[in-house]
Amino acid sequence: MGSYQSKPLRWTLVALRVILGAVFIYGGYVKLRDPWPLFAMGIDSYHLVPFRFVEPLARTLPAAEVALGLWLILGFWLRISSTLVSLFLVVFFSAMVHAKLAGQQINCGCFGPGEPISKWTLLRDGSLLAAGLFVSWHAFRAPRRTP
Amino acid sequence: MKLYAAALMVVLPCLAATPDVDKNRAIGFPTAPVKLEIFSDFTCPHCRVLHETVLPQLKSDYVVNGKVYIVDRAFPLTGAGHEHSREAFEYAVAAARIGKYQQVADALYAQQATWAIGGNVWAAVASALPSPADQKKVQALAKDPGVLAEIEAEYQEAIAIGLNQTPTLVLTVGGKHYNLPPAPDYRLLKSMIDGFLPK
Repeated sequence: MGSYQSKPLRWTLVALRVILGAVFIYGGYVKLRDPWPLFAMGIDSYHLVPFRFVEPLARTLPAAEVALGLWLILGFWLRISSTLVSLFLVVFFSAMVHAKLAGQQINCGCFGPGEPISKWTLLRDGSLLAAGLFVSWHAFRAPRRTP
Repeated sequence: MKLYAAALMVVLPCLAATPDVDKNRAIGFPTAPVKLEIFSDFTCPHCRVLHETVLPQLKSDYVVNGKVYIVDRAFPLTGAGHEHSREAFEYAVAAARIGKYQQVADALYAQQATWAIGGNVWAAVASALPSPADQKKVQALAKDPGVLAEIEAEYQEAIAIGLNQTPTLVLTVGGKHYNLPPAPDYRLLKSMIDGFLPK
């Protein structure tokens, strides 16, 4: 990060990176712990993804979440990692809002099965998205690091 | 002695938390490696779809060959549209006592659109029981405290494990429970079950 940032802002950004990274690692871990069809059923319940893509997504997304969480915490190539995290969160949040507006009574699938989409889950994921966008915005504002 | 008491303290709550299986509401062999509990409600349209489309496939693919043991569990919903849920379960569980559960469950789901709105649950139940003697027995058993207690115990069990919608499938393998999302696609359910079975 560049020197334009005050100390409190720098620490806030570090804290947000660690929180977002930890959430991604945990979210990926709980899905990896269970058999992949369980997460696939969660994805399929949204009725947004064609069935042929459900299995590849269910098999790869949890590992991608863990990798992305680690990457964000480690802090290198922050513009790319924070943008990817924000993109993931945009997709997750949009899917949840769509399901809620469509009146679907389904589980969020964010941290394994058994958590219905509710105001609370929307607030939580919306807050994570806001944090992701905040980190991304500052990553792009900061001058590029030169080797 | 202390160790024995401590072991009992650990084991007893687990035993209490494991509900008895009403064998007349289960299909397959209890020794099957995979147990699938279906928490459903007779007034729920998704439960009807599961009962009429997924269950027959499960039976032919996994139950007849002893790989999956399916147990029906009562999770009577409350609120608008579900006013007759509990009454339907009272008759169904009563029918189970005389070995006619599957017939009554089939009739309740097939005629769901009629009785769930009109409220004449008994007409659907009676259509599955041609014998007047059986009808009389089921009507009497539907008021039996044991039947009512069984429904309530299963409902409370569902609440205790955090269920909030139907149909919810709970898959148990080697003591580990997996709460599946409601009404899963059969191909995914098959992949999940196959993953637990020896190749």
